[in-house]
Amino acid sequence: MNTLTKENNQEAKENVAEKDQKVTTRVYSPNVDVLETEEELLFRVEMPGVDQSSVEISIEKDQLILEGKFVPSLEARGQVRLAEYREGNYFRKFTIGKAIHSDKATAKMKNGILELTIPKMEPKKTKVEIQK
Amino acid sequence: MLFRILDPQTKANQFWRDFDRLNDELTRSILDSQFGSASNFPPVNVYTKEDEALVTCLLPGLEPDQIEINVKDNLLSIHGKKKAEELAEGTEVHRREIFNGEFHRTLELPFRVDGEQVLAKFTNGVLNIHLPRREEDKPKKVSVIAG
Repeated sequence: MNTLTKENNQEAKENVAEKDQKVTTRVYSPNVDVLETEEELLFRVEMPGVDQSSVEISIEKDQLILEGKFVPSLEARGQVRLAEYREGNYFRKFTIGKAIHSDKATAKMKNGILELTIPKMEPKKTKVEIQK
Repeated sequence: MLFRILDPQTKANQFWRDFDRLNDELTRSILDSQFGSASNFPPVNVYTKEDEALVTCLLPGLEPDQIEINVKDNLLSIHGKKKAEELAEGTEVHRREIFNGEFHRTLELPFRVDGEQVLAKFTNGVLNIHLPRREEDKPKKVSVIAG
């Protein structure tokens, strides 16, 4: 279990660092709400500081990967008096069932919240006639 | 006697989902969630320069009109209420990690602020508040005249 956790952690860091052209960037695991209705799966992800253009969503096999790149401000901010959070990129991975239409997934970003909707496939129903 | 028939496929899926959840929680504890819990929501950073303070605050999911900012002397307060969206009937909740509810933060700044000149911007869920120092409190330079 430990090994797997380390691998995931490493993977998260490498993923973002590679895209940042070898610049070391902190990676955070954002808070997520996962909801399911009869028709769809809904993911709500907190990514403050991330612009819509900096979000990457990939669904491969049964793995959903959500990434957000934080663009740091270039403005001179002065001396740090209090730091309760640090700026960095976001990464989260989920295993989801295969019975989804990944190609019909839609996403929107508003006020630092990513909303991803993935329609579910209709369960196959076969009517079996009972012979007399 | 009642026999319960379990679908092996369903059992396997459940096992991997549980495994994934456990793994995700361990990874999260290592990677850190930077949003904290209700007690320190919203997380805040404070920076100061000679003539102003800058307070940045993570408020994902809020609208600008849901945020109230008050300044008095060297005290800044940020108040708001984050409402949870109503769920349609039959919605199953698998995870609830996003904080919803009322929050109130009061911060003490190292100098008094000119309340009339405070400027707040809200972009992509991040609130930036520029708080200019009062003119009369700014450090004054004294030039030395040769005697």
